[in-house]
Amino acid sequence: MRILARHLTAATLAACVLAVPAGAASIDVRVRSPRGAAVRDAVVWATPEGRSVPASTASAVMDQKDRMFVPHVLAIQAGTAVRFPNSDNVRHHVYSFSPAKTFQLPLYKGTPPNPIVFDKAGIVTIGCNIHDRMSAFIIVVDTPHFAKTSADGSAKIGGLQAGRYVLRMWYPDMREEPQVRRIELSGSEARDVVFVAARGASAPPPGP
Amino acid sequence: MPIRTFQSKLIALLVAALVLLEAAMLVAVYVAGNRTLGRIVSEELAVGTRVLDHILTTRARRLADSSRVLARDFPFREAIASSDVLTIASVLANSGERIEADVMFAIALDGTVMAEPAMGNLVGRPFPFPQLIARAEMDGESSATVSFQDRPFQMVVVPVLAPRTIAWVCAGFEIDEDVIVDVRKLTGLEVALWSVSSRATPQLISTLDDAKRDDLLRQIGPVTQDRKSTEQAFALGGTEFATLLQPVPTADRSRVSALLQRDLDSARRDFVDDLRYIFGISALILIAVVITGVAFSRSVTRPLRTLAEAAGRIERGNYVTPVSLRQKDEVGQLATVFNTMQSAIAAREIQITHQATHDALTGLPNRTLFRSRLSGALSAAAGEGRPIGILVMDVDRFKEINDTLGHDFGDQLLIEIGRRLVQTLDASDTVARLGGDEFAVHFAAADETRATDVARRVGTAFEAPFMLGEVSIEVAASIGIAMYPLHAGDADTLMKRAEVAMYDAKKNLSRIAFYEAGRDEHSLRRLTLMMELRQAIARNELELYFQPKIDVATRRVVHAEALVRWRHAKHGVMSPDEFVPLAEQSGNVGLLTKWVLRNAIEHCAAWSRDGLPITVAVNLSALDLFDSELPTFVSGLIAEAGVPAERLVLEITESAVMRDAAHALRILRELKRRGVRLAIDDFGTGYSSLAHLKRLPVDELKIDKSFVLQLSEQASDDLVIVRSTIELGHNMGLKVVAEGVESDEALRILERFGCDMAQGYFMSRPLDDTAFRSWLATSEWGRRAEPATTSDPQSPLVSS
Repeated sequence: MRILARHLTAATLAACVLAVPAGAASIDVRVRSPRGAAVRDAVVWATPEGRSVPASTASAVMDQKDRMFVPHVLAIQAGTAVRFPNSDNVRHHVYSFSPAKTFQLPLYKGTPPNPIVFDKAGIVTIGCNIHDRMSAFIIVVDTPHFAKTSADGSAKIGGLQAGRYVLRMWYPDMREEPQVRRIELSGSEARDVVFVAARGASAPPPGP
Repeated sequence: MPIRTFQSKLIALLVAALVLLEAAMLVAVYVAGNRTLGRIVSEELAVGTRVLDHILTTRARRLADSSRVLARDFPFREAIASSDVLTIASVLANSGERIEADVMFAIALDGTVMAEPAMGNLVGRPFPFPQLIARAEMDGESSATVSFQDRPFQMVVVPVLAPRTIAWVCAGFEIDEDVIVDVRKLTGLEVALWSVSSRATPQLISTLDDAKRDDLLRQIGPVTQDRKSTEQAFALGGTEFATLLQPVPTADRSRVSALLQRDLDSARRDFVDDLRYIFGISALILIAVVITGVAFSRSVTRPLRTLAEAAGRIERGNYVTPVSLRQKDEVGQLATVFNTMQSAIAAREIQITHQATHDALTGLPNRTLFRSRLSGALSAAAGEGRPIGILVMDVDRFKEINDTLGHDFGDQLLIEIGRRLVQTLDASDTVARLGGDEFAVHFAAADETRATDVARRVGTAFEAPFMLGEVSIEVAASIGIAMYPLHAGDADTLMKRAEVAMYDAKKNLSRIAFYEAGRDEHSLRRLTLMMELRQAIARNELELYFQPKIDVATRRVVHAEALVRWRHAKHGVMSPDEFVPLAEQSGNVGLLTKWVLRNAIEHCAAWSRDGLPITVAVNLSALDLFDSELPTFVSGLIAEAGVPAERLVLEITESAVMRDAAHALRILRELKRRGVRLAIDDFGTGYSSLAHLKRLPVDELKIDKSFVLQLSEQASDDLVIVRSTIELGHNMGLKVVAEGVESDEALRILERFGCDMAQGYFMSRPLDDTAFRSWLATSEWGRRAEPATTSDPQSPLVSS
């Protein structure tokens, strides 16, 4: 009972915060495995149809702490510059062979002077050449409307204008293309969408 | 030779026991060795499979390690990521060489071959072992044996990570001769690999030479069907191989078997060498034991042989040579005992011989020795024609001396006589005691004068009275002399004739007598008669006569006494008085009695059938009363003849009963029990006490005829005796019979005295059966008898 109460409280609070811009629509997404378990670190993004969106000039950080990439999943809008600071005292060799962005930051310490700009939408798998266990995903999307599921498998894309959107979902164990939903939002509607992750969060991380 | 046998037996036993033991040991060693060998070979083969397995596993791991390194190579990954096929192929070729892989693949995630530098014709096609990739997706990586290009390969599949799996790298080793050669180096086993893929002909690689390999190829086909590990024996090129067939698991349809082979012949060679060594030791032990056994058995048998020889000497009568054995053991003790025994036997033999040939009392030679010496002297004299005389003498009235002065005195007298005889005669003469008071001397005598001279000298030996203790006694001797070759040709006859002469001397009181020809013919006649009597009994040459007994009161014949007569061819009719004593002496009286009994009873039965109920009486000899079989014999006869037992009366003299009264009594009672009637014969001549008489189970008393023959009113003594005997008999409840009735007067006297029966010449003399029957028919006694036979078969006297 107490847990449920806390949930309710948190949900109410979140609803209040996100409901600030008046007249905007939102999408509440839940991602779960076929068995119903919550899937975290799933990324959902809504691309408006028939409308162009301004390129991003934002920046993001993919930190390396304790020989892990933090965060494990980073969603960014195309054009975002991402810094790869090394917070460990060992060197890392960050690389990507992903077609969306192929790059490498050969063995370095500290923060490299130039951030890497991800200007093409796609899924970029990041690895460290000297630490095989280190892996991360940068999901480069072509819209500013995106969100990442929290531990309870929910995410909220807010501040949406009414109109038609293509809603996509991707999660780290996915092999195939992101799941796609076409939705049309009216004025200030809050739409609930549920995705079922085929492979689920229980699937083991790939690679040794 | 028994000693040989013992020795060889001992050795045979030793050798047999040892050979058995050694054979058992060798068999045990052989069996155990074979089993161990089999176990060792199996173990070696098992080790071989483990080594092979280890080598394959190690190779697979090395392959996997190398492949993993390759898959992580950054430029390689870059090339994969960029699908730079040419670069990928060159990297694979380079790496493949470095890790000594026989084949390398790069495989895209969709399962198509991206690069394969060795052949190249697979690029763009599906990877032939998708199951390896599937397994690698599950487990991270995979390795397996598969058939590739119709050859067995170890394949390893690892992912290419960037860091997610972007492709697969597969590296393959052909399982080729290098592998099996390695296993052979490590294990010393022959190794073969047999692989069958679906399409091509089976492949066999082996460390064996080609000939053996071909042999194996021919034999292996049917064997490898089994999926399990099996052990099998193959004969390859004349060599036997224990073979372990170990299936190698494969990931495809192909079948691969590893064959680990052990050359059994070489494995056995060491074992056989060991066996030879053990066999050699066994043989040496056997030889040593045989040598020891021979030595030991000799040490045992040699003294035994010595003892056996000694025993043989003793057997032959040599008691002089002692056994000499210096051993202190049991055999030595035996030798000592042998020697003691030898001297004891010698002493005893001398003693026995002396006892056998000498008289114990006087120490003089006995009859045996005298006879043998005499025989020796006779045969010696025969050659020379020299005469020899012997002298036999006995002591007159010796029995009286013995009876009056005692046996001890008699013995002392005999000793003294012997001493005097030896003193009197020459040393060359032999003096012997023949037995009792009979002595004999034999001497070499030229003629009768010399013999008489010797006899005189013997006579002088008796002249002086014999002083024995307090008693002085004069003793005379009778001497008989017989001369060789004048009187007899052999020792026995000579001695007998000297004895005859001695009896003559005694009879004639002449002291000395020479044998006279024909003197012993009388005794010869007796001997002949005895033989003839036995023949006469056998040939039924005897005859029965019957003398009637009449009932004094009725004057009727009631009994008839059976009397035997012998009608001798030469001597005419002989009465029992002549030959019964002879039969008694010669032991033939039993035969005679039985003959008489049988015939008398047969006659009695015949009379009875003819209406003459006359009881028959038979005389028994004293000796018959010693025959325990007699009662059975008698009752047998009676039953056979069908005559009532009361019709038989057996007459026994008083003296016969007195000889062995107890035994006679037993026989008589037995006869009586069987219904036979008994009579005391010749009563009044013996000395039986009345008390004794009273105990006898008799029915009749026969007064001796000496009291009856002269019986008349004038013979007062006889009258008294007869009368009182009749009264005595009646008082004892007996019937009284008078024998020897020869006059009417006597018969009347007897009638007056109440005598029951009478027998004698007055009535009738003994008659043969025919005469007896006609007498019965004609005489007044017999005619009177007839009415009684019809009215009463039993005599009224007997039955009352």
